[in-house]
Amino acid sequence: MPQLFFALSLIALALMLAVVWQASAPAWKTYQREFHRLEAVGEPNALTKNAMLTTPLDIRQVLLPGLQRVDRCTTCHLGVEDPTMRNAPQPFTFHANLAPHLPARFGCTVCHGGQGLATDQQNAHGKVEFWQEPLLPREYIRASCGRCHKEGEVPGVPELAEGRRLFETQGCRGCHKLNGVGGSIGPDLTEEGAVRRFPEWLARHFLDPNAVSKSSPMPNFHFTKEQARALTFYMLSLTSEQMGTYYSSVRLIPSAGYGRQLFVEKNCIACHTIGGVGSKSGSDLLGVTKQHSSGWLDEQLVNPQLVYPGSSMPEYDLETNARKAIVTFMASATAEDARSILAGRAKPLTAQEAAIEAGKQNFARFGCVGCHGIQLQGGVPNPNSQGGEVPSLLHASDDYTKQEVIKIIQNGKAPPVENSKKPAPPLYMPSWKNVLSEEDINRVADYLWSLQKKRDAW
Amino acid sequence: MNPIRDAWQSIFRRDPLSTDKGKSELVFLNVWLHIHPAKVKKENLKVKHTFYLGFITFYLFLILVTTGVALMFYYRPHPPQAYQDMKDLEYVVYLGTFLRNMHRWAAHGMVICVFLHMCRVFYTGSYKRPRQFNWVIGVFLFLLTLGLSFTGYLLPWDQLAFWAITVGTNIGSYAPLVGGRIRELLLGGHSVGESALLRFYVLHVAVLPSVMILLTMVHFWRVRKDGGLSRPVWKLKAESAAKVVTIGAPAEPAFRVVPASKDKTYGLMEVVTGKPIFETVSAEEEEDTVFSYPYAFFREAIALVATVISVMAVSLFWNAPLEEMANPVKTPNPAKAPWYFLGLQELVSHSALLGGVVVPALAVLALVAIPYLDPNPSRRPADRKWAIRAFAAFAIVNVVLIIIGTLFRGPGWALVPPWVHISGAE
Repeated sequence: MPQLFFALSLIALALMLAVVWQASAPAWKTYQREFHRLEAVGEPNALTKNAMLTTPLDIRQVLLPGLQRVDRCTTCHLGVEDPTMRNAPQPFTFHANLAPHLPARFGCTVCHGGQGLATDQQNAHGKVEFWQEPLLPREYIRASCGRCHKEGEVPGVPELAEGRRLFETQGCRGCHKLNGVGGSIGPDLTEEGAVRRFPEWLARHFLDPNAVSKSSPMPNFHFTKEQARALTFYMLSLTSEQMGTYYSSVRLIPSAGYGRQLFVEKNCIACHTIGGVGSKSGSDLLGVTKQHSSGWLDEQLVNPQLVYPGSSMPEYDLETNARKAIVTFMASATAEDARSILAGRAKPLTAQEAAIEAGKQNFARFGCVGCHGIQLQGGVPNPNSQGGEVPSLLHASDDYTKQEVIKIIQNGKAPPVENSKKPAPPLYMPSWKNVLSEEDINRVADYLWSLQKKRDAW
Repeated sequence: MNPIRDAWQSIFRRDPLSTDKGKSELVFLNVWLHIHPAKVKKENLKVKHTFYLGFITFYLFLILVTTGVALMFYYRPHPPQAYQDMKDLEYVVYLGTFLRNMHRWAAHGMVICVFLHMCRVFYTGSYKRPRQFNWVIGVFLFLLTLGLSFTGYLLPWDQLAFWAITVGTNIGSYAPLVGGRIRELLLGGHSVGESALLRFYVLHVAVLPSVMILLTMVHFWRVRKDGGLSRPVWKLKAESAAKVVTIGAPAEPAFRVVPASKDKTYGLMEVVTGKPIFETVSAEEEEDTVFSYPYAFFREAIALVATVISVMAVSLFWNAPLEEMANPVKTPNPAKAPWYFLGLQELVSHSALLGGVVVPALAVLALVAIPYLDPNPSRRPADRKWAIRAFAAFAIVNVVLIIIGTLFRGPGWALVPPWVHISGAE
């Protein structure tokens, strides 16, 4: 009996040693030793060299409460901010062009993805089960810019703005919710970028939904490769993270492009001229940045009365970086810009035209086009509905009165079934009364009626 | 004047262990050991009588307390942090993964061992007079084990935890009238959220373990007071039914003095009640007993080390699961309760009332009432074929339902064998 007890105790001890041994040599320690060895290679001073080689090995982490994450990437990626490591092998390579996104302030995973808390390669790179954001492939990393820079433009990443434009004009919201607005036929996209989907999957999905997701009711929009890429970028940027105040204060990029966008949006050209082009009631803005300091210009945008008592310029509630963007645009703006801005301004519309235009925008924005087509031609397959397709709306006035159509938009409608034994058709008309106001619905009907083609009577 | 010897003797006051007196004093002068008798029956030490399942269960509980307290140093019971702490345990706490593995696997092991222990006690008829009440306490200890395991299940705050508890508490809410209220009380709301996590944490680390320790103490004490371990059934076989003297029966008319064994640590009680508490006595008893030291203690120590080794070995090779962080809007398909409740979930999938209310209520009631409903005084398996068959059927149905629920249920609770891989279930 004592012999058995003794033997079992030895096994227990051996197991304990195995556990300690298993925990004793994590890969990051090997990496850190290797890094210190690399550092010490060119060091002439023996004392410093020795100090480098004997640097204690420890886990390094960046605590980022404002981004709700802790990144331990620099435990292995030790040379990220060390220019002498420019040609060092990974994981020690220097990260060029980091500023202004310094790791101490932004960490790594907010752009690159991966699992910041992990301390071994496979888990940290997130290519494991149950981690939703694996490391992004190189060509998609820039999509992460859109996670913070949700408004304005991101210089160098035109895909984000294009993806957003496509999303709002191709009727994606008809089926998909984003930030609480949209239909419920497709999945909610509010956190699409945070859900484990590979960028390649998304890109292929936009080119042909059924190729990657069998029996998906999503119609094929026949996007070009570039459009699919832009939408993929936009999807990857949708994460609905909470950002700390510092991060939201710098989310607008004061670029000339964004300044121009604001200049158009705020209709500055209605009063000002640039190089003599524009309305004459305000001052000419050509070379305004040379005449005044940037501080003066900023103050002018915040509180015109303070700078020029009696000025007729209204106050604009603009964020710091939005004001900076306008000033940046001013530095380069020419009469040519003014001309193109003027040319792009919409002609004044009659009340009737405005209602139809608003209806058209609603029709696109809330996704009617997703099923009924941009030209109302219908034709999206809907198996087992009568006709097998979503109906065209070009001849709605033949079958319904305007009031009936408004009712259908308000309450939704299940398509008539071809064969009651088969599964119900996947697509149906959702109810819009909780999404669109009555006025908006009337406008959509106005728009539909403006395009009606009467069938030949026979 | 030898202060070291003085100190030693102030702690250990017994005679040397080479003497019988020393062996006895080792037991009854020691607060930790005196729950044992000084001498035990040889037959009760046999592995094939008890498989030491009660001891193993207790040792697993000790492992759980030890590792659990260690885990508490790293754990914050609040939604995002709770999950982050799991990741910290995995990636930065020294031996953190191992600690969590041990806690997880010991917990599963304890559920299994309590159940097996209960099966053993039933098979040997050890719940019969005078041990009826200890069986009832045992049933409550079983329920407490399930409760501890269930409350601990939520704490990692991953998808597995969140949905298992959502499903598990939903099963409970099928109870008429009070079900919904109990669920609300348990969760601190209508769905699993931060208040549920806090409540489960407090239940898991304070309330349930305290009750568990109290009831365990009563359980052990009653084992002694009810006459020690029951005799192995093969001993009963040898005796004729008539020779078995059942004691403690209130219907017994005459005062009957039964010769007590020599190690009379319970002599006073005999005087008080007029009845010896132990079950049967026979002439050969004297030769049948051995000192607890070393015979019982070594065997118990071996069981302890073997249990620890098993849990360590499993923890070394298999990691406790940890899925994505809990996401209330992303329901996995299928969402499953913890495995020991999957039998119930399987029943619920056929009938909510049956699986959620009738069967569990009847099962618990029946388990509690078994010693009082079983009219058969005999403990010999040959005399109680139907009781053993009924309990075996109960145990087998339980196990089969759990296996079906665990391995054979796929998306939409459809019957899917585990070897069929479902692709694109997303």
